[in-house]
Amino acid sequence: MENLAPQEGLIERIYWLIRLRWIAVAGVIFTVLSIEKIANIPLRSLTLYTIAFILGVYNLIFFLYLNRIKRNSPPDLPTIANRVANIQISLDLLSLTALIHFSGGIENPFIFYFIFHMIIASILLSRRASYLQATFATALFILMVSLEYFNFLEHHYLNGFVAYSLHANKIYILGISVAFISTLYLAVYMATSISVKLRQKEKILQEANLLLEEKDRIKSNYVLRVSHDIKEHLSAIQGCLDPVLQGLTGELNPGQKDLVRRSSERTGKLMSFVRALLEITRIKLSKEMETGPFSLRKTVENAVNFVEARAKDKDMRLSYNIDPAIDVITGAQIYIEETIANLLANSVKYTPKGGRVDMKIKDKGDSVLIQISDTGIGISKDDIPRIFDEFYRAKNAKALERDGTGLGLSIAKEVIERHKGKIWVESEEGKGSTFNIVLPK
Amino acid sequence: MAKILIIDDDPDIVEAMRIVLESKNYLVSSSKSGDDGLRKAEAEKPDLIILDVMMETISKGFEVARDLKKSQKNRDVPILMLTAIKESTGLDFKNEAGDEDWLPVDDYMEKPLKPQELLSKVESLLGGR
Repeated sequence: MENLAPQEGLIERIYWLIRLRWIAVAGVIFTVLSIEKIANIPLRSLTLYTIAFILGVYNLIFFLYLNRIKRNSPPDLPTIANRVANIQISLDLLSLTALIHFSGGIENPFIFYFIFHMIIASILLSRRASYLQATFATALFILMVSLEYFNFLEHHYLNGFVAYSLHANKIYILGISVAFISTLYLAVYMATSISVKLRQKEKILQEANLLLEEKDRIKSNYVLRVSHDIKEHLSAIQGCLDPVLQGLTGELNPGQKDLVRRSSERTGKLMSFVRALLEITRIKLSKEMETGPFSLRKTVENAVNFVEARAKDKDMRLSYNIDPAIDVITGAQIYIEETIANLLANSVKYTPKGGRVDMKIKDKGDSVLIQISDTGIGISKDDIPRIFDEFYRAKNAKALERDGTGLGLSIAKEVIERHKGKIWVESEEGKGSTFNIVLPK
Repeated sequence: MAKILIIDDDPDIVEAMRIVLESKNYLVSSSKSGDDGLRKAEAEKPDLIILDVMMETISKGFEVARDLKKSQKNRDVPILMLTAIKESTGLDFKNEAGDEDWLPVDDYMEKPLKPQELLSKVESLLGGR
């Protein structure tokens, strides 16, 4: 239980702490200014600004360091993140103690800001580490108060805020210390009991999620086997129907021919459906796609060739433009070609005669942007969020073309997301659609 | 007339192919397993072998193809390989047919077979025979 470190979100939470620390730097400067200028209480402002500056410097260092380890993501990332979180909180406690010391010590009401650090520790760290931080804070507090009490450290009197210096008042010190130290430990106790419970829940959810993924994999395997069997039978049916249809077994009368033709066509459609289902299932099941460097330029040309004849049949203008800077990228070439070809084929299919399909491929530094626009029937607002869902077909697409697998765009999405890319559509019903793909190089 | 040996474990597909091929007067014989196919190939010395990839095992057809190419008698007999494998393995045969070491076949066809396509492949593989 104690080791239930919040691995997954820890890095994000450390970034959150870094953001908070920027606010703290600004807060210190603002507070010092206000107290001096508005409340007219003299402060060691230069020292306090210096501490704020140091706070800013180590925050920047942590920020850069974190960016670097996040990029390299070493195998012991969770351990490193945990250590970074511990060091940061300890440094924060030191900084806060220094700030408090130079601005009144025990007289300074901001002393209760230590509680925030205890809460942050409880959120980021294990229960044990949180109590250790509370103990460290207590030690710093006692050290500061005693050193000031015994005059080993100069006491910076908050003139104008308290009536007289309190740092040598035993009863006051005792009272504040008891209240302060108990508050620290109680804060850790309460915050950790909540966060430990949350982490346990998180773990249970993660496990449930893994289980679901495993179930999904079993289901996909099942779909794969069943579709494969169905396909084999379909293949045989079509293989038997076609010779009959072509009169190789003797002339057919028109009625027979018509029915056999219908059967053959329907078998063909069912076959495309099963093929698409096999394909998406196979992609889902494959742990990794085989990737390698390939020429995007050539791939795009192949995809265009694939639909050229169909576009010509419909008197459509099919054009494409690829940034001259783009050539070789890394990915699964066959799948990328198929995805681009399928999107182009979709555009041609759902654009009326005489329309336009235009593809632009732009260089975006680390990635390429592929845009396929058409002047077709478009997609209604209600359909846009769902068209990448498996088996979903937009109403107007169904009206235009009764048969369709509803899997083409799901396959495209799966392929692009496997490449850590993004795919989305912008469309206005009746005017046309633009499919956008961002593909990392 | 040219003799064609079909090695495929699916009797319906064999029958459909037989009808298509016999319509052009080819002499068709068939075999339901890879090993039996190899024996028949030795005995009958066909002019063309149509070979299914997936039979007893997922890649039995590959083994048979390699054995045929090793055989003294059948080394020069063209092989037309039938595949239904693309969707389940992601293999793309376009890149591999003709690679002698990996898959020693002369051409390939994906199931389901269109009669016209089958006939034209057979015709071109038989060439001047």
